[in-house]
Formats: sequence, structure tokens, C-alpha cells
Amino acid sequence: MSQSKEIFVRLDRCVGCHTCKIACSVEHSKSKNLFEAISEQPTPKTRVYVEWVPPDRKVPILCRHCEDAPCMHACISGAISRTEEGIVITNSDKCIGCWTCVMVCPYGVIGRHLETRKAYRCDRCPDIQSPACVDACPTQALVYRSVAAFSGDVRQDVAREMVSGEGR
Amino acid sequence: MAVKQMQYVVIGASAAGMAAAEAIRKLDSQGSIIVLSEEQDMPYFRPMVPFIINGKKKFPEMMLIGQGPYQGANIGVRLDSRVKAVNTAEQKVSIKSGEELLYDKLLVATGSLPNIPSDIKGVEAEGVFVLRTIADARAIARRAETARHAVMLGGGLLNLKAAFALLERGLDVTLIVKSPNVLSRLMEPDDTVLIREALNKAGMKLMTGSNVTQILSDSTGVIGVLLESGREIACQMVCIGKGIRANVEFLDKSGILVDQGVVVDKFTRSNIQNVFAAGDVAVTFDPITGERIVTGLWTNAAEMGNCAGRNMAGQPSIYSGTFGILNATQVADEPFVSMGIVHTKGTDYETHIRATPKTYRKLVFTPDGTRLVGALFIGDISKAGLYRYIIRERMPVKDIKSDIVNHRLHYGYFLR
Ligand SMILES: Cc1cc2nc3c(=O)[nH]c(=O)nc-3n(C[C@H](O)[C@H](O)[C@H](O)COP(=O)(O)OP(=O)(O)OC[C@H]3O[C@@H](n4cnc5c(N)ncnc54)[C@H](O)[C@@H]3O)c2cc1C
Ligand code: SF4
Ligand code: SF4
Repeated sequence: MSQSKEIFVRLDRCVGCHTCKIACSVEHSKSKNLFEAISEQPTPKTRVYVEWVPPDRKVPILCRHCEDAPCMHACISGAISRTEEGIVITNSDKCIGCWTCVMVCPYGVIGRHLETRKAYRCDRCPDIQSPACVDACPTQALVYRSVAAFSGDVRQDVAREMVSGEGR
Repeated sequence: MAVKQMQYVVIGASAAGMAAAEAIRKLDSQGSIIVLSEEQDMPYFRPMVPFIINGKKKFPEMMLIGQGPYQGANIGVRLDSRVKAVNTAEQKVSIKSGEELLYDKLLVATGSLPNIPSDIKGVEAEGVFVLRTIADARAIARRAETARHAVMLGGGLLNLKAAFALLERGLDVTLIVKSPNVLSRLMEPDDTVLIREALNKAGMKLMTGSNVTQILSDSTGVIGVLLESGREIACQMVCIGKGIRANVEFLDKSGILVDQGVVVDKFTRSNIQNVFAAGDVAVTFDPITGERIVTGLWTNAAEMGNCAGRNMAGQPSIYSGTFGILNATQVADEPFVSMGIVHTKGTDYETHIRATPKTYRKLVFTPDGTRLVGALFIGDISKAGLYRYIIRERMPVKDIKSDIVNHRLHYGYFLR
């Protein structure tokens, strides 16, 4: 099996331009076109978030497709599963909008479609080669690589340490 | 060297039992795993049973095996197999058919049963229900075909869900609650404004501070309820949702220690060698208060079952406990999350409340203000998982306290 890839964040490069968010929303719209996406109902939503940490740090945050994903074990309808590629996905046909996954995800990356009462999150863009946010980032703060290929680099490991207390 | 094949027996084929079976199978590919259920239906997601009442889903859409983490490979599920007794000296269980099964490792995951208060008369009448199993839901749906008015006794979350399902079917629904507010286990009266508004808007009739003493019936079944005040309310069906209790009666002579539920250590082991327990039937503890609790939560049952399974398969795993309160749901149009300590009246907890016409946030800190111990979000529940994490890990909050209180917290703060 080929080494599965992940999206890594190079915090020192993010300038907070929000280009990734727009690319993500467009990729998850019906038309997949910026100008049409703007007027679609329900409004296409981004699954990557760019947060600001005082005094001046910008942090892109997105689903980490955790090993032993807490959201998947917590879901009360079986809507969350892991694909063969290791990606944790939410099946919106099965989702009943109970928000249990929102309550347990320690990264706060599950969004809620209020109109349809469905949870959504990063799906690593199954229809295209590399995720839209990665391709769009003008500073290459987001990179899509296998863990092995990235490990020599400045890897932000704090995230993993944070979930190590999840008890599973 | 030939290794003896392990015999794992799991009593209960729901969240805890099936999660345990999955965990065992991951670690032991050879052992025999038998999961027993007294129900007639294949394992299903119990929290979805209200969908049978409102007709929004059919049973196959609620089945557990093959969904999410439950892949069910090489796990033998036996239905209609109620366990009558456990003999821990000979390591065997007896099933209602008379058959006996030997075990090397046993898991008790029999969940809980609805509580029926003994001070309500007439509960045997036709048209009186509890909602626990898919069979209960089908019976409720059948009665609802002809009933016009349903009275719900108890204002807990399960009963609210049943009430909404009936409302969505077109029945008139009256919720009669003894305490001064609904959801009293999950929030305080002052916290419920938005929820009450949502119930009103949805068309639910709510009577708080009232108590039913008798259910009235004739040959057609339920015809009404009698209140303590002497007033009668006509209705054709009644649902009782007055809490749950651990399903442990069949363990009476087993020697397994029961106190509210099966008492387990931090490895989910009971007082008896090779017997474990998980889910609603087990007593666990709240890491914040240290209190012993029975949680009654799917999420908790699955996590605890997973842990028990690993211990049974020989991989020591510590169960770190859970909050007594850990609920996420949506009532009508109002999503809410309630976790940790949220009842603060008459206590020294430092409490911060932010209310807008559409949202309500209550954050509870230790009296010295250094740690977050509880959170209640109504309306806007985004990033609730972050707050749960802070509570659970007892993180010192000093740098981020104002961000917590003002709902500005995000994961980026932990990357400093
Ligand atoms: C209507 C409803 C809505 C809910 N909504 C939510 C929610 O939104 N979120 C949440 O976290 N939780 C919710 N819950 C609670 C959740 O369903 C339970 O906490 C969870 O199902 C507990 O799982 P368990 O595996 O411990 O036991 P249970 O689900 O109770 O299963 C017990 C199993 O044991 C079997 N069994 C019992 N006795 C015997 C015996 N003597 N012999 C053989 N088999 C036996 C039963 O057949 C069953 O398979 C809801 C519950 C209900 C009823
Ligand atoms: S949604 Fe959250 S818990 Fe689930 S896999 Fe993604 S980061 Fe992990
Ligand atoms: S909101 Fe949907 S995906 Fe999330 S736990 Fe509930 S049913 Fe599962």
C-alpha cells in the first residue's frame, strides 16, 4: 500500500490571506465555480479555517483525520467512517444532526449546515488529485505529502500530542 | 506452541458490547467472539429509535454492523438469547433456551432499563409506553396511528425526543414535568429560556411543577391522566420517561458486585476474575468531581466498550472516566451542548453567562477561577469539542480565559 498523504501546515508561512477557505468553499459547491458558488443556496461552506492568535499569528486549521478518530466512535448514527485511504468522512445521508461529533472533536473543525442539519468537514477533495486548499495557497503554507516525506521538515507535532490523552 | 483459542462472551449487542467485540477482534484474530442480545433485531443505533416513531427512517437505515467503526468481521451475534444467569465459579452463562455457554472472558454490557415510578397508578394499561428499544418504538408508532393526544411524563432528553417524534407525526403532545423546568439534569431553570421558546414554537404544551398520580383507562386502553391537583387530562397514550436504571437483575446470584450498576476498576474489570462491564450497566466515575456515576450515553458506552475489549484481549487499557453530563443534541431549532458541571446555584463555582436573543453560553470555572469545569452552549455550539478537551484535561486556563468566556477560542491557541 502506498504511504497515505496528509495535509501539513507550515505555520511560519501562513499570511492569513484566506485563499484556502475560498478554494475549499468553491470545491464544495455545486458549480465548482467562484462566481456561481457565491449565489448558491445553501451557501457553500469552507472546511478549512484560518484563525488568528494574538499578537499576529495566523493558523490554518483543518480535520486531521485522526487515528482512532474520536468523532467516528462517538457518532450515534454510524455516519462517520474511515475510507480505505485512511480519510475520515461524514456521510450526510446518514447524519441526523445530533452534533455529538462537534462536541468531541478536539480541534473544533466540524461545521454545521444549519439549513440541512448536517455536519460537514474536510474530505480531502475526493474528486481532484490534491486538495483545493493546498493548490490555492499562494505561500505554500499548506502541503500535501506523506508523513515520511514531511518528517525531516518543520513538522507541527503539538497537535498529535494534544490528542494523545483521548484514551483510545 | 499451540495456543488455546480464547472464548469471549459479550452480553449485550449495542454500543458497549459491539465496540468491545470490534476491539477484541482487532487484537485477537483467532478467538471466538459471541455477542448475545435479548432483542429480536440485529444491533442498531439506539439513539435513532425516535425515527421509527416519526416515520423518517426505516429499520435498515439504523443498523449498526457495517457502519462507522462497526465492521463486524467474524463476530457472532446471537439474537433472542436472553441471559438468565451467570455462574462465575464455572465461568458460564445460561441462556433462556436452556443452553449454557462457557467463557474465558465475559463482558456485561446489558445497558439500562427505563425507570417506572411506583407511585403512578395504572401503568399496566394498554397505551402506556417507555421508549428504549426498537420494539418499543414500533409499539408507540402503532398506537399513534389512532391516538390524537399523547401525554409525556418526565422532561428529560429521551422523553423530549419521543415527544418531538409524536409531534412530527401530527399528534397533540403535552409534556408534564415535576421539576420547575425541562432538562433539569442538563441545565438550571434560568438556562432554559431558549429551549422553552423552541418547545412553544414547535407547538408542544408544557406543564412544569405538575405530577401525574394515575393513568386512567378503559377497554380501549388509556383515556387520560389524573394530576395531583385533581385535574384530569384526556389522552390516548402516555410515555413515561423518568430516568433509567442499570440492567443487572440477572446478576443477582453471580457474586458480581453491583451498586447502582456493575462496579468496575479503572481497567473496566468487575470484582470477579475475567468479568468486565461497560456502558450504561457499569458504574464509572467523573474525573472532575470523582463521583461515581451511571452515564446513560451512547458515546460513553462505545468508548468504555472499546476499552473493555482491549483489556479482555490482553492489552491493559485504562478507562479515564467521563463526565456525568456530556450531551449534544438539537431540540426543535435549538442545538445545545451541556458538559461537566453546569448546576451552580448555591455553589462557589465562578460562573460566566453570556445571553443574546439567539444564543446562551454558560462557562463554569473552579471557585479559584483557574480551571474550566463545565460548559453549556445553546444556539451556537461551534468548537464545543475544544472546551470538552480543556475540561477533561484540567488545563490551567489563565492565558486563554477571556477567549473561553467570549467564545473566541480556537485550536490555534494550543500551538503556542
Ligand atoms: C430514545 C433514545 C435516545 C437516545 N439518544 C442519545 C443521544 O442522543 N446521545 C447519547 O449519547 N445517548 C443517547 N441515548 C442513550 C444510548 O442509547 C445508551 O446510552 C446506549 O445505548 C447504551 O449502550 P449499552 O451498550 O450500554 O446498552 P444498550 O444500548 O441498552 O443495549 C443493551 C444490550 O443488551 C442486551 N441485553 C439486555 N439484557 C440482556 C440479557 N439479560 N441477556 C442478553 N442480552 C441482554 C440488549 O438486547 C441490548 O443488545 C438514547 C437512548 C434512547 C433510548
Ligand atoms: S473531525 Fe476532529 S476528531 Fe474527527 S478526525 Fe477530524 S480532527 Fe479528528
Ligand atoms: S452530527 Fe451527524 S455525523 Fe455528527 S455525530 Fe451526529 S449523526 Fe454523526
